[in-house]
Amino acid sequence: MDKLAKQLREDAASINVEVSAELDDRIRASLLGITPERSRQTEAPQRPRSTWWASSLTGIVAATIVIVLLNLNQPDPLVPVANSPTERIFNPRLNLNTVASTAPLQKELEDLEADLKKAEDAVRKEIGLFP
Amino acid sequence: MTDELDLIDAAKAGSVIAFTELVRSYRERLLRFLLTRCESYADAEDALQDTFINAYRYLQSYDSRWRFSTWLYRIAIRNAARLRTDHVAELGELRDEESDPLKLCIAESERENLWQSARRLLSDEVYAAMWLRYVEDMSIKDVAVVLDRSNSWTKVNLLRGRRALDAELNRGKPTNESEAYG
Repeated sequence: MDKLAKQLREDAASINVEVSAELDDRIRASLLGITPERSRQTEAPQRPRSTWWASSLTGIVAATIVIVLLNLNQPDPLVPVANSPTERIFNPRLNLNTVASTAPLQKELEDLEADLKKAEDAVRKEIGLFP
Repeated sequence: MTDELDLIDAAKAGSVIAFTELVRSYRERLLRFLLTRCESYADAEDALQDTFINAYRYLQSYDSRWRFSTWLYRIAIRNAARLRTDHVAELGELRDEESDPLKLCIAESERENLWQSARRLLSDEVYAAMWLRYVEDMSIKDVAVVLDRSNSWTKVNLLRGRRALDAELNRGKPTNESEAYG
């Protein structure tokens, strides 16, 4: 340690300070009256991992249902109406049967709903909602 | 140091007793430092109390990559600065030689205490940098963090502070120092 650094340290040590009992009591009393701020990380409740799976699965199924329902509500495709007899012969009106064309989708929806129910039951059982 | 980390962990978990132990190990050091930055002994005591209150309140934000003293001194400097601002706003400018708390705490001697010289010769920030470096043994990096300055600013100003105080220490010998420091 060089001469100046040594002198600075010695001179700092020669500054006489004393923390009075009164100040000590003040500090202690202040600390007792304080609630430390918790970090955001500790404030956030810890959710079980199964909740993540449950919410993901529910989201996927909900999105699928919305897509299916939107497709079911689509109007029948427009078929050009033939005006002339020639057009009627070579271009007959094709009126598709909606029920027939959406039956597979309906079945798929029902299957998906059954799968969803099974998945929900499994998750509930896992997180202890069922006895 | 491990003890200190244990105490910090316990205090973070809510132990006032653990934090009181930390207060005990830092209170004199901090008060000595604050005395050199406040307008009166009472202000220094208030700043010390506020420092520990703030430290305890925001202990969760303390990052153990830094020394605990670095974090505490950073809080202490801000509190002292706030009290000085309040003091100036209430009472106008500023120190009265007779009430200088530093002067009151230094015994009479043949030679002026170097820290009194430092108060005359250096700016507040350079003074604080010198104190943290030479009394608290902080690294340049830690000093820079406490003062919220760059490493290069800290190095340059520590050098200036040293030159000024070296000249003061060797007063009477021929010197060509004439610049204002800090």
